Amino acid sequence: MFFQQLLNGLTTGAAYALIALGYTMIYGILGLINFAQGEIYMAGAFVAVLLLATGQVNFFLAFLAGMAAAALVGVALERVAFRPLRGSHPLVPLISAIGASIFLQSLALLLFGPNDRPFPVQFDFSTITVAGLPLSTLQGAILAAALGFMALLVVFVRYTRYGKAIVACALDRDTARLMGINVDRMVTLTFFIGSALSGAAGIMMAIYYNATYPRMGLLPGLKAFSAAILGGVGNIPGAILGGLLLGVAESLGAAYVSSGFKDATAFAILILVLLIRPQGILRGRGD
Amino acid sequence: MTAYLLHLAVLSGIYVILAVSLNLIIGYAGQVSLGHAAFFGIGGYTSALVSLHFGFPFPLAVLSALVVAGTCGLGLGLPTLRLKEDYLAIVTLGFGVIVDLVFLNLEITGGPDGLVNIPLPRLGGVVFRPQGLYIVLVLLTLLLILGLTYSLVRSYHGRALRAIRDHETTAQVMGINTPAYKIMIFTLAAAVAGVAGSLYAHYITFINPESFGLHTSILLLCMVVLGGMGSIAGSVVGAVILAVLPEMLRQFKDYQDLLYGALLVGLLILRPQGLMGRGKLSLKFITKKE
Repeated sequence: MFFQQLLNGLTTGAAYALIALGYTMIYGILGLINFAQGEIYMAGAFVAVLLLATGQVNFFLAFLAGMAAAALVGVALERVAFRPLRGSHPLVPLISAIGASIFLQSLALLLFGPNDRPFPVQFDFSTITVAGLPLSTLQGAILAAALGFMALLVVFVRYTRYGKAIVACALDRDTARLMGINVDRMVTLTFFIGSALSGAAGIMMAIYYNATYPRMGLLPGLKAFSAAILGGVGNIPGAILGGLLLGVAESLGAAYVSSGFKDATAFAILILVLLIRPQGILRGRGD
Repeated sequence: MTAYLLHLAVLSGIYVILAVSLNLIIGYAGQVSLGHAAFFGIGGYTSALVSLHFGFPFPLAVLSALVVAGTCGLGLGLPTLRLKEDYLAIVTLGFGVIVDLVFLNLEITGGPDGLVNIPLPRLGGVVFRPQGLYIVLVLLTLLLILGLTYSLVRSYHGRALRAIRDHETTAQVMGINTPAYKIMIFTLAAAVAGVAGSLYAHYITFINPESFGLHTSILLLCMVVLGGMGSIAGSVVGAVILAVLPEMLRQFKDYQDLLYGALLVGLLILRPQGLMGRGKLSLKFITKKE
């Protein structure tokens, strides 16, 4: 029972962590919260589901297309809702992102209708026993894929030219510009990568819950933000740790405390973290 | 038809009270609250519960709503108002979600069904009925709140708040106790939202968590941004437009949220001071760099 809840928590936590990475990277480079991150997650899931529903697209291709579509939505969002407002009072892009989030959500509602869509491809997942403990291969696959994406991101940021350029912009945008880095392009790249990861999370959760619907991104988006703060906003390993911890806390809370207040766990943790350790577990750049 | 117009007028009045109180936080103190509907709900539920269970007369019920919502505002503001704008936004949003879940899960609040048979307000022998005198009650409350708000924002304290909004550090250097002011305005706005909740609960006579969720908080934000952050008259106009418009455009109901979203983004880019914002002042606030 405990092990099962732990595993359920890690699985949803992996999705939170992927979305939290998007938040944290964008916060790192622009210092603002992209409130529409949850809608990007939803967009990725919808594109993959719709492609698969045609029955002519291979699963991996649909997965990649979903991630690409999410990335494009993210880049478009930055152009429309953030770039024209750069340099204004921090309140302004925040409200603009909320507007974009409502817009995308209601657009999805109009285009796809309010009903849940099941995931079009059925996988033959089974439960295997590892060291006497039951393990669902679906959860195993999701966890493995999520951890793979995270590892790729960490390698990209640490060891490639572009990754280092993003870090430079996050440390000091003006100095980065003086060093010949095209800051605007790095911002676009950050949105592209962060959104692709959120899209991947959306597709995984669409498989996990077997449901895709326009409001699916709302709560995961907000919880992932809490996860980013829990781990230390602007800190990449922090976002991963925060996401996994939050997923586990939520799952154990629902099992042992109260299932009705499951969705409140993340926000209660958020408020506590901000009061007790606002810089997060792994020191981020929050105040 | 008259009854319908009256209904719209009452709802608009209640939304104006809410938007004006939210504007005090956003437009004057420069903080964002995305959980304002929670205080609206706390006021509504408090007022309904004390009337149903303890038989409180209407004025006492309103007073309880004011005190309880204000106390919750103080309780949330005290620890969180030291946070930066975006953190505060997400904390207030989280608070809204938690309050919504509390309404949904507690037995005393009636869960998803909410509370029914909330008594109509009575003063002396007069009953304020929805099709009759209720509008008078709403308008009197509204005028009182507008009067108080205007005198607040024009006073020394109002100037102190605007100073905090424009530059917190400078305000502090000038000897303004910035945390105290932020907590004061947050508590005040929550208390006023509580009064609006009470007016709403006794008007509709049944309430459920649906009316007080994230959607309402965002609608209130739209009203403030549309009217102009930092303009009381703007909030009145913004609230009336967004309360009446959906009724007039019933056939486009599906497109309502799409419009709200586009409106928020579009306004901030094209006319950040909103419909009624005083250009210079608001623009300065908008284009200010940290």
